[in-house]
Amino acid sequence: MTTSRSILSVLTIISAVVFLGMTIDTLRKLPAQTHSDQISAQVVEGKRLWQHYDCNDCHTILGIGGYYAPDVTKSYTVRGDAWLRQFLKDPAAMYPTGRQMPNFHLTDAQVAPLLAYLKWVSEVDTNGWPPAPKGVARQEPAGHAIFLAQHCNTCHAIQGSGGTLAPDLTHEGSRHDQAWILDQLNDPRSHKADSIMPSFAQLPGTEKDELAEYLVSLK
Amino acid sequence: MRYQSQKLAREYFWAALPLFFLQVVFGILASIKYVWGFDPLLNSIPFNVARTIHLNLLVFWLLLALMGATYYMVADEIQTEIYSIRLARIQLGILLASGVAAILGYFFQWSFGMPFLEQPTLIKVVIVVGALIFLYNIAMTMFRNHHQLTGTTATLLGGMVMLAVMFLFGIPFMPNLSTQYYFWWWVIHLWVEGAWELIAAALVAWALIKLTGVSRRRVEGWVFAEVVLVLLTGIIGTGHHYYWIGTPHYWLWWGAIFSAAEPLPIMLMLVDAVRSLLKARTLATVNTMALAWLGASAFVHFMGAGVWGFGQTLPQINRWTHGTQITASHGHFAFWGAYGMLAIALMYAILPEISGRKQRNGAEGLSFSAFVCLNLSMIFMVMALLIAGIVQVYLQRVMGLDFLEVQNQLRLWLAVRLVAGGVFTVGAVLLLGDLYRLARPLPAAGSA
Repeated sequence: MTTSRSILSVLTIISAVVFLGMTIDTLRKLPAQTHSDQISAQVVEGKRLWQHYDCNDCHTILGIGGYYAPDVTKSYTVRGDAWLRQFLKDPAAMYPTGRQMPNFHLTDAQVAPLLAYLKWVSEVDTNGWPPAPKGVARQEPAGHAIFLAQHCNTCHAIQGSGGTLAPDLTHEGSRHDQAWILDQLNDPRSHKADSIMPSFAQLPGTEKDELAEYLVSLK
Repeated sequence: MRYQSQKLAREYFWAALPLFFLQVVFGILASIKYVWGFDPLLNSIPFNVARTIHLNLLVFWLLLALMGATYYMVADEIQTEIYSIRLARIQLGILLASGVAAILGYFFQWSFGMPFLEQPTLIKVVIVVGALIFLYNIAMTMFRNHHQLTGTTATLLGGMVMLAVMFLFGIPFMPNLSTQYYFWWWVIHLWVEGAWELIAAALVAWALIKLTGVSRRRVEGWVFAEVVLVLLTGIIGTGHHYYWIGTPHYWLWWGAIFSAAEPLPIMLMLVDAVRSLLKARTLATVNTMALAWLGASAFVHFMGAGVWGFGQTLPQINRWTHGTQITASHGHFAFWGAYGMLAIALMYAILPEISGRKQRNGAEGLSFSAFVCLNLSMIFMVMALLIAGIVQVYLQRVMGLDFLEVQNQLRLWLAVRLVAGGVFTVGAVLLLGDLYRLARPLPAAGSA
């Protein structure tokens, strides 16, 4: 009994020492893996703001936190700078319905560091997490990916998938031509004065064209 | 109860129980937001504030309950009065004041912004002061009559010291998020799968010796094995949180191997509890509810922490499940089984001793209803979250659907969770009523 106790105790102490050794090694390797040379004063300010507004209790980051809102680890790569900038300034403009993020009335001086922080996080080497989805049900045209990436499906549905706040786009190609759709993307109020759809004028021209081509193809 | 200072436990329980109820209320509030798209409290109590308060109250009421039980247990084991009742009350006052200040602050965006550790630095420092007073008071009590120091009390003190030391790693702001999370887990993981396990093992051992009549020698032999295995598997087991946070790839191996063994000590605890409970059948008087909660706690601890934890601890699986409702299911099940149910068991064991009530008192209907309500609804909650999590992993991670679109698909299961949460709230009210009843002395015979 005494011998087995001693062996177990020694093993436990060894495990604690090994853990401390691995911690030292991890802290040595961490700067390269997280590109810590990219952590500018602006990135640090972004992290402070992220913590100040307690974003982490709704969103996960590196998969940790609240499960109520999307993980932001790769937000910068998936959504892009322009989308995030508009969203942070006025979340309801991008998501007028359903689960909402409060409007923190962020100033430009706050949005810039937050974006710098999200950009830095998106470049951290996370050992391949999150995994790329395996199953794409069918081959979709490029415009469909833009439709999803820009969250058009929050309000518009196509073939039963999407929101109901705005018109169903299943047969959009039978109702409007490409020029009309481009006008709508650039200035939603050009067709309807009280439209609550946000403007997508900031999208690069090629993406707007691909999105419009895709919608026109929906006959 | 042999020592007047043991009544301190009741004061700590009284502080803990309303906080438990409030924790449940904020949990309900958060789960309504999951189900109902429209949120009228978006700008007054947004989800992050509700969740923060839900988590903080969880830690807070559990710590107060376990501290109260510790004061009772240490006096009993060391066979002396607590070193200072006054210090214990000052400690309770400090902790309550810092807790209330923290929770009020969250409504005004006064937050450190790391989950579980949202308390602003100033409040964390005050909490440390409260913890140091506690450690001092307990250590001085043990020192008073140190030849009575038992393996159980030493384990308890070790756990308490580890708890305080680990908390320090959660205080500084670190510019690199990966480093911040590396040490954040030293608090979160090494608390729940380290320090708290030691405290729980010691308190369970004491309760088993008290309530079942098993020999101290046997129980303490088990405690030693449990504690060593908890540390042996749990310390390097922290690595299962280091898979995806910007830390080296070798953690996938080390974290997987060691954390996969973490259920072993929990299984030992379950076997130990069952063996001791079987022994209690031979006793003339049995504190049925305390034993029921103790036995159920051992079982749910094993299921929630052991089985649910093992289910997603390997990196091949965790890669897909990390950061989904499956983690929420595991968190609820494990915390409830390992610590919530244990705290309640200890209250059922200690309060009738302080009030001098006989353990069989004709009102088991209320005790039993609370037990069934709380545990059944928790199982429904945990299963609903598990199903929601599995659907989420499939749709979001495997198929690549957008997060919010998937959340809409989960609404049915989140609604089941909400209904179960409602039943849980009823159970919490019943429990509070029952414990209040047990804490009062029996009316003198014939006065009814």
